[in-house]
Amino acid sequence: MSRSAVILVRIALLLAVLGAWEVLPRAGVVNPMLLPPLSQVLVVLGEILKRGDFQEAMAVTAAEVLVAFVIAVPLGALLGVLSAENEYFGAIFKPMLFYVFSIPKSIFLPMFILVFGIGFGQKVAYATFSTIFIVIMSASAAVESVKAEYLLVAQSYGATRAQILRRIYVPSMMPILLETLRISMIFNFTGVMIAEMYASRTGVGHMISNWGENFMLPQLFAGVIVLAVAAMAFNELVRYWEARCSTWRG
Amino acid sequence: MQHMARVSPGDGQTPRPAVEVRGLGHAYDGRDGVVAALADIDLTVPAGQFTVIVGPSGCGKTSLLMMLAGLRTPTSGTIECDGRPIAKPDPERVGVVFQEASLYPWLTAVENVEFPLLLKHTPRDERRARAEQMLKLVGLDGFGGRYPHELSGGMKQRVSIARGLVQDPPVLLMDEPFAALDEQTRMTMGHELLRIWSETSKTVVFITHSLTEAVYLADEVLVMSARPGRILDRVPIDLPRPRTYQMMATDKFGQLRERIWQQIRDMP
Repeated sequence: MSRSAVILVRIALLLAVLGAWEVLPRAGVVNPMLLPPLSQVLVVLGEILKRGDFQEAMAVTAAEVLVAFVIAVPLGALLGVLSAENEYFGAIFKPMLFYVFSIPKSIFLPMFILVFGIGFGQKVAYATFSTIFIVIMSASAAVESVKAEYLLVAQSYGATRAQILRRIYVPSMMPILLETLRISMIFNFTGVMIAEMYASRTGVGHMISNWGENFMLPQLFAGVIVLAVAAMAFNELVRYWEARCSTWRG
Repeated sequence: MQHMARVSPGDGQTPRPAVEVRGLGHAYDGRDGVVAALADIDLTVPAGQFTVIVGPSGCGKTSLLMMLAGLRTPTSGTIECDGRPIAKPDPERVGVVFQEASLYPWLTAVENVEFPLLLKHTPRDERRARAEQMLKLVGLDGFGGRYPHELSGGMKQRVSIARGLVQDPPVLLMDEPFAALDEQTRMTMGHELLRIWSETSKTVVFITHSLTEAVYLADEVLVMSARPGRILDRVPIDLPRPRTYQMMATDKFGQLRERIWQQIRDMP
């Protein structure tokens, strides 16, 4: 199958799903109370995007996601690099990190509420906590992906430590690091949403949760579209960057 | 094809050896105490000579090469290159070509060749020009823009040789560079290496497992013993140059290979 044919089929599939979303509720095949037609959702989407409280909620959610991201990624990367590079640090902390990584982070949410109260700090702390382990694991995998012979070659040509870091570690870790950025954003976003839906006074997650409880399905779906578009946009941005940095990967 | 910098002993002048090793030993802490990897290595490689080192697996050939490259510190003895001791890697005196190609996969062929110059902060244009020149020398004119994964095994090793030569070091160390190649490519690469050697008049120290390759390439073959590695025999290869594939079928070639094989075979 040629590439253009694949793209055509993909578009057709997307249109079919969106078409079914419109037609099935209208035809009464599915309950329009549970799945409002697409056109109705889009009208509601237009309305809520203009609402001051929704814009405020988006700003709060975006701030929580970004702050947690800015804390979790560098801190996790630092700990990951340390645990891969420093023998003692790795030997002591790696098993612990590995086991904690396997625990569902959401079970700790009540503790975060007790410690931080309900608010910005609690959401950022919880999202950071739920993201940092994957960053640590990926960063240490990235360091371990740097082959010993790459370092040997550089040393044989008299590279300094700074040159080895910049010319060998950074480019050879880059593909895994970019993938880590992408995956940590997924974890991070999920963490903020769970925290907002569990107990919150603001944020998009909180609004969606309210709309669901009050059976306001058009609003709920409109909120879902906003979040889905935001998540996919970030994902695609990093993927584009990833592709540009990995042309050398065969 | 004539070879420029061949300096044979007895010219009336005493040429300074390109590589001079005296009483070299290497020991490391193993699981059962100190392990002697190399002992009493004396080695003189005249400028322009092609020296091949053979020996059983684990005899410390690679250790020896690492020390010649300044990448590992000897426990005892001295190493001099061009009359000065080698304490740390000095790519202007010694270039290294490693097992496998060990090219950087995120750099194109020409960028890989430029890499040693980049570390020395050579201006970009000069760097590129030197690298292109080296790619031409190794027969890869026009392949500079390719990434390693787009090159065959033999081509990767050519890039690796070009990288070893780009700073024009008088000495080139090669650690089983063709071991991962198929037999046919290996023969071609050996032949190519002799052509490059005769065009650049480098001093080459080459490690291999293949006795045929050793006799085909070398002016002198050094046979190393099992651990602790010592030099057991020095076999001058007085086959004429340029070498041809036909020489491999001659009695002379067979006798030389046999002499080396007898010593390796008798090792524990």
